[in-house]
Amino acid sequence: MPGKEFLDPCVDCRDADAALTLRRRRLCKDCYIKFVSYKVFKRMEKYRLNREGPRNTRCKLLFPLSYGLSSSVLLHMLHCQLETQRSKPHAPPGFDLEVLIIEPSTMYSVPQYDAGFDLVQKLFPLCTFTRISFHDIFDLVPDIQETMSHFAGDEFKDDTSKTNTERLSAFRSSITTATSKTDVDRALVTRLIVAFAKKTDSLAIIWGDSDSRLAAKTLANVAKGRGSSVTWQVADGMSPWGLEFNYPLRDLFTAELRDYAGFFPELTDLIIPDEQLSENTLTKNLSIDELMMRYVLTQGEKYPGVMLNVTRTANKLDVSQMPSNVSHCTFCGASMMNEQHNEFCYACARSRPALSS
Amino acid sequence: MAPSPCQNCQNNRAVIIRPKNRQKLCRTCFLNVFETEVHETITSTSLFYPGERVAIGASGGKDSTVLASVLKTLNERHNYGLQLCLLSIDEGIKGYRDDSLETVKRNAQQYEMPLEIVGYGELYGWTMDQVVAQVGKKGNCTYCGVFRRQALDRGAARLGIKHVVTGHNADDVAETVMMNLLRGDLPRLSRGTSIVTDSAASDIKRSKPLKYAYEKEIVLYAHHKQLDYFSTECIYSPEAFRGSARTLIKDLEKIRPSSILDIVKSGEDMAELVPAEVKGTSCARGAEDESAGGCGSQNGRSRGGEMAEMEKRLAADEAAESRETEIKLPVQAAPKQTKSKGSNQKVIKTQTMGKCERCGYISSQKVCKACALLEGLNRNRPKTAIEVGVSLEDEESSTTLMRQMERVQLGG
Repeated sequence: MPGKEFLDPCVDCRDADAALTLRRRRLCKDCYIKFVSYKVFKRMEKYRLNREGPRNTRCKLLFPLSYGLSSSVLLHMLHCQLETQRSKPHAPPGFDLEVLIIEPSTMYSVPQYDAGFDLVQKLFPLCTFTRISFHDIFDLVPDIQETMSHFAGDEFKDDTSKTNTERLSAFRSSITTATSKTDVDRALVTRLIVAFAKKTDSLAIIWGDSDSRLAAKTLANVAKGRGSSVTWQVADGMSPWGLEFNYPLRDLFTAELRDYAGFFPELTDLIIPDEQLSENTLTKNLSIDELMMRYVLTQGEKYPGVMLNVTRTANKLDVSQMPSNVSHCTFCGASMMNEQHNEFCYACARSRPALSS
Repeated sequence: MAPSPCQNCQNNRAVIIRPKNRQKLCRTCFLNVFETEVHETITSTSLFYPGERVAIGASGGKDSTVLASVLKTLNERHNYGLQLCLLSIDEGIKGYRDDSLETVKRNAQQYEMPLEIVGYGELYGWTMDQVVAQVGKKGNCTYCGVFRRQALDRGAARLGIKHVVTGHNADDVAETVMMNLLRGDLPRLSRGTSIVTDSAASDIKRSKPLKYAYEKEIVLYAHHKQLDYFSTECIYSPEAFRGSARTLIKDLEKIRPSSILDIVKSGEDMAELVPAEVKGTSCARGAEDESAGGCGSQNGRSRGGEMAEMEKRLAADEAAESRETEIKLPVQAAPKQTKSKGSNQKVIKTQTMGKCERCGYISSQKVCKACALLEGLNRNRPKTAIEVGVSLEDEESSTTLMRQMERVQLGG
């Protein structure tokens, strides 16, 4: 008996009408989800099989969630993987997912997102969740207060009698330009997340950066003199903190993440949409990170492959070529290549209040 | 607003805000600082040895004119003991090169340096005007770039000089870093930032002493030193050549003036992290290789079309890859096979350098790139051109000559 006739059959299953075009192929919704999820599944295989760890124990992975599109979609995909792992009787031990949320309202002037925290716990019951504030960095990274004082220079006085919130905002407001502010915030957030990962004995940190974010990060790092840091801020592998960094969304385009999120209404409820970069902002007043994001997004419309290629190129750099006796920046942790031994690396020095321009 | 004093000497009135760090300086201090920085670049990299003969690749433009002027000043001030001369390429572009060559000739007198001009016409039998008449405006920069590289080497060889310095500035180097990132070109990323591009293949070394000098400061230097330079861009490099990387760098400079130097620093660090097997290929860098970037006026800058072409290729790769996955799936049961496939892909061909069969120039192929391009040009050269080129008299005399030769041979 002849099969059902479709007007526009899905090229993979041929058993449903195609709903979307994925990389020039017409696919139905289920096959679309399968294809996109498989890209992430392949990247996570290492942790699912956990061949390096002790037998029959799950490895713990730290997952920082920002409620943005890409990290929310990635969490959804990883949770699906956990469901499959748990449902198979003889499956490899797999991994546990420890989700860390830095409450957005403690970083930017946005309202507290309690609804989001309740929702993620309901949606992803197989993960554990912790919510912390940005200023918890003083508790989790004990030496940060000294580092901050050195970094900000003589003008800045850390008043320990004040609350952590006030101390952190005093430090952050001592940084002058938009570029330096974002740069310093990034370094602090990374240190906070790393400290939490170490506290919870996590094996690796799984980052939810999208392809465009990774490409923008590569270009911004290069533009800020942080070229050597792309080996762990963009590429998969060992970070200077002794923890593996992984970016499983590297093979997917942001448009594909958006389509994926569209299939699940609960994700749409959760995600805080990205702030639209204003077209009217003078280039001069943007931060380098914003400029690069804008560049990648506008160029990415015409040349998505070229932008993806930037990330791939960064991923090809070989950390083993790094001199072994290289020292590390006390602020951002970067290896200081081709520079004299200082407390702060070349790029961090650019963002210091006294020097930043 | 009251005039502010120079932040260096506190004496004179500041007339310049340095693009590099927004420092306010007077004219004398600026010229001094600029020269000192180039001197530091030269000494910290031990670029020259006493008594070395150095050819300055001179186009008459701001970069090479400033380079010639600064090198002359430093050579006298710090007793480098260099023998400097100017080396110019005449591409044969009317209304552009003939005018800029006049500038170079004046420079040669002003700086009391000998000048050597090498023409495309005499080397290849084709001027750029003729090439453009044949191939059109699109893609003619490829010819010019390939020809230029050889021409500079040959000019240097003619003078018996083994070191050519070029006017590439920090903006050019930063642009190259960004371009190579966008192109995904690791071999070039590993060598684009080094001050000396030396190779086992060519015995003529090239260097860029202005590598850390900002384009804007070069213009300021030329202006305040009242240098005589030619500021028209090549008539064959239209607007389309101003590529993505260039705009990006101009925007970055607005946000953080230091970013040009920061990109150079990133490029230098990343160059060391390029995998050894890829780096290896760069030792055997062919003389023909760097030329793909085109001429100095848009070195490393992309045409609009270049990016679109690459996008197409990447999309095709992607499509091929997804097809490959489908075929591979059942094979996954036999992991050994896939493994061997993976290692096969990693083998990178290393270039072996030889000499071009036709002209003797260094090449990784049997015939060097210039000769290959020439072959294409000559094949399509209209026959009338040959008829015009060889006049009746010439033919007469050549046959006479041949008859004479035959007679000599017979006689012998």
